[in-house]
Amino acid sequence: MTAIVEVEGVSKRFGKVRAVDDATFSLEGGGIHGLLGRNGAGKTTMMQLLTGQEFATSGHVRIFGETPVENAPALRRVCFIKESQVYPDAFKGKHVLRAAPWFFDRWDAAFAERLVRIFDAPLDRPMKKMSRGQRSAIGVIVGLASRAELTFLDEPYAGLDAVARQRFYDLLLEDYTSHPRTVVLSTHLIDEAANLLQRVLVIDDGRIVIDADADELRATATTLVGRAPDVEAFAVGREVLDRTNLGGIASVTVAGLSDDDRRAAASAGLEASPVSLQGLVVSRTGRADREEQNA
Amino acid sequence: MSATDISPSRADGAAGRAWSVVRMHVANPVPTLVFPWVITLAIFGINVAIWSMVVSAAGGVENLEADAFQYNGGISWIVVFMMITAVQAMNQAFRFALGFSVTRHDFFIGSASYFVLLSLVYSAGLTVIAGVERATDGWGLRAAFFAPWGLVDQPLGTVGLVYLAALLLAFFLGAAVASVWVRWKTYGLYSFFLGVAVVVVGGLWVVTTTNSWADLWSFLTSTSPAALAGWTAPVTVLCGVIGYLFMRRATPRA
Repeated sequence: MTAIVEVEGVSKRFGKVRAVDDATFSLEGGGIHGLLGRNGAGKTTMMQLLTGQEFATSGHVRIFGETPVENAPALRRVCFIKESQVYPDAFKGKHVLRAAPWFFDRWDAAFAERLVRIFDAPLDRPMKKMSRGQRSAIGVIVGLASRAELTFLDEPYAGLDAVARQRFYDLLLEDYTSHPRTVVLSTHLIDEAANLLQRVLVIDDGRIVIDADADELRATATTLVGRAPDVEAFAVGREVLDRTNLGGIASVTVAGLSDDDRRAAASAGLEASPVSLQGLVVSRTGRADREEQNA
Repeated sequence: MSATDISPSRADGAAGRAWSVVRMHVANPVPTLVFPWVITLAIFGINVAIWSMVVSAAGGVENLEADAFQYNGGISWIVVFMMITAVQAMNQAFRFALGFSVTRHDFFIGSASYFVLLSLVYSAGLTVIAGVERATDGWGLRAAFFAPWGLVDQPLGTVGLVYLAALLLAFFLGAAVASVWVRWKTYGLYSFFLGVAVVVVGGLWVVTTTNSWADLWSFLTSTSPAALAGWTAPVTVLCGVIGYLFMRRATPRA
């Protein structure tokens, strides 16, 4: 497999703000990948750099082995759906879907019609009068029905309810199975999407802090729950990612447990459970001490 | 269209991609292909009503001066409308198009084609109606709405040329100013209008200090409408080039 996305030492500054800071990663063709991070971490900027909408301050961005900037043949193989997409004032939902096949070669009109029914998209309503969820539905329809070889979905379901989001996950997986392609999904609803993701990129403060296979990532940490003294005794000398105490019960998330460690934990009366992807991302990007360091 | 087109919906060549942008601009045809005609007819209808009222009060067209209804500027609204259309195209449609994987180059070439096509459609349509106006002796009222004052005694070809030149200028001037906004936002527009003010005042200064006002007026009054229309061409082309260069590095930021 060759890399479909390559990012080498890419930075993007807006004045003094480093929206993306010396990011390096690559993605191989095929698969659904997650670009995760907090609001303002640089997810959207990264996707805009990957689709030629923004110009990198330094570094190299390549899709299909070429720069995306002003590269029509490469961009025609790309679909980028973002929550902040602007539509012309005169556009109703139907005009968006009417225009889509002129720009996406692999557009599937029948699939789009099916998606319109599933998401109950109001095609006769002006885009600017739609609710956030309705606008998201239009974006999701375009993002799926365009079947672009490289699809970027930036918070595609903002404002959609849990039922609609679950439909989206199911449809994404279903359509991905029948029409394999590369999808990069950014979201802050990490656990909802976790099962879809093959590779996980976590961006924090403009930097790529995690770049790992989702399953491997989950195996890197374990949460142990038990009586506080037992937990503390076990945690001594280990890398603790997260720690909570509730009365006499404590829980710690520790990195890199071996099989022997697990047996030792079990014999100490601790209950081990895998860490959720969300828990891991939060522990790596959301800790208070980090914020203090940055202050 | 290039020979590599596989089906009408696929646009592989550069011309095909630009054509997709043209179609995108009229994906909803009402605002630019229907609405302006409806408004124009409404303005015209109100004018006809006023003229008829005056004629009726005067007891007949022959009791009025021959050019009583020939100094009308109602049709000029369409030039302003098209300038706003260009501003919206550069702003909203640009951000939409980039979201649909269109390059800045293809967007601008397609939008410029759209502006030229709209200018042709409207100048041709208005000229045809101006022909009807003349053939019916000004709608039976000796009125001139579609070819008023300066154009009353000009051949229809000149009427069409003036419309075409005015519309093209409006589109590309609007696009150039909007490109300053899209590229540099508020501070860009401040700088731009400051620059315009400096140039205008500087121009007035030069004309005054060189005692050239008389020459300027004689140029404007002695030059035919057709030649004046021709003089807009370099300005229009310059605006087009500026718009293209500015948009080439613009980003779709909110």
